[in-house]
Amino acid sequence: MIFGILEMFRNEPLLLFIITLGVACSIGGIPPIIERQRRRSIENDLPALLEALSDSLGAGLGLQQAMMAEADRNNGKLGKLLKETLAESHASSFDAALSNFATKSRSSQVQRVMHLISTAIEQDAPLRNILADMSRDYERLNDLMNRRESDLMGRSILIIMFVSVGLPFLIAFIVGLFAPRNQGFQLEDFNSSFTMFFGGASLVAIGVSGRMLGRMRSALWWAPLWMAVSMTIYHVGVLVIGG
Amino acid sequence: MRSLDESREILYVIRTLDVLMGSGVGLEAAIHSISQGGYGIISKDFATLMENINKGKPMERELRALLKKAENDGYKRVINTMLNNVTQNTDIIETLRKQGERMEETRTEAVKEYIEELGGVPETLLSIGMIGPIILSILGIAPQLMEGAEELFGTMNQGTIMTIVNAGLFFTLAGMAMIGLKAHTKDPGL
Repeated sequence: MIFGILEMFRNEPLLLFIITLGVACSIGGIPPIIERQRRRSIENDLPALLEALSDSLGAGLGLQQAMMAEADRNNGKLGKLLKETLAESHASSFDAALSNFATKSRSSQVQRVMHLISTAIEQDAPLRNILADMSRDYERLNDLMNRRESDLMGRSILIIMFVSVGLPFLIAFIVGLFAPRNQGFQLEDFNSSFTMFFGGASLVAIGVSGRMLGRMRSALWWAPLWMAVSMTIYHVGVLVIGG
Repeated sequence: MRSLDESREILYVIRTLDVLMGSGVGLEAAIHSISQGGYGIISKDFATLMENINKGKPMERELRALLKKAENDGYKRVINTMLNNVTQNTDIIETLRKQGERMEETRTEAVKEYIEELGGVPETLLSIGMIGPIILSILGIAPQLMEGAEELFGTMNQGTIMTIVNAGLFFTLAGMAMIGLKAHTKDPGL
């Protein structure tokens, strides 16, 4: 049986290519996940930081002092990053430190906040109120983003599991049961068509589930692997069930 | 696509305009600040607007042109507020604050709707993605299964049946992609 399966792979160069591509792309898919986790951790800490800064300004501290105090207090990734940036900024201006912090965070939320703080400082605007407003805005935004993630994650996994695993297994079962190869059924063209279909369906499933969560580009890194999984399940299923 | 980009950026643009104009910066200078970048498609629009103003075209006309170009309702309302400020000297800051609050409520509602609407996508996707291939797989093996029963079912050519199966699979895939497109078109732009 095992040799039969290996033999099958030898006769399917496209499947072998997609398996190789899938393994390579899945390695490329890991950094976006790590980066996203880091960025979301920073973004989720941002409203609390802004609120604390607003309170400190209300208590009479300067923005730089308030940021230093908050960098010491905050144990998360945001606090660590802020501490690093402020430590490196001794030789430069505070404005440059804010820009540096925004760049290092690699988060559009942090970049917008820092840009707005710089503009407010430049224009001598009431910083305390602005920080409080921004804290409220970003808290709501992050709540929405987290809600979207938690509510749609299950559905997105369901789509991938059904289309890439359930569907090829089901069809392989039907074909293997009703048209077993060991009884002389000629299914080369049929199998080739369905293999291509499962590859395409997996690609659609990954694209849709990635788009649902708002990160299609990083999800597409995993597409070749899931395509390979679904095509392999079908081929191996037909071989094992149909003999 | 443009509407989605606009909806993504407009709330931040309103907040920035609020900060800038609330601290005494004029409308033109505030537009200039946003045109420097950081607000995606709106920065590009404002950059074009500033370029034309610097060439000597009146701001009112440029804002009207931008109003025609804008697709998102919130963005249109902001440009209209700017236009009113230019022509009638209205209180732009107060109006922008109210618009910002309303837009935030709209966004929250849009996300809730998006989550609810996408609730049916997996089921629809799986229905089409499963029923289609099941029927087509049975159809594809039918000529071989029915061999010897030509008198009962008539002759079925394997080549013709495979053409039908291939077309069916293609349409199933296209149908799945069309259903999945809903996830893109209804995106609330977070």
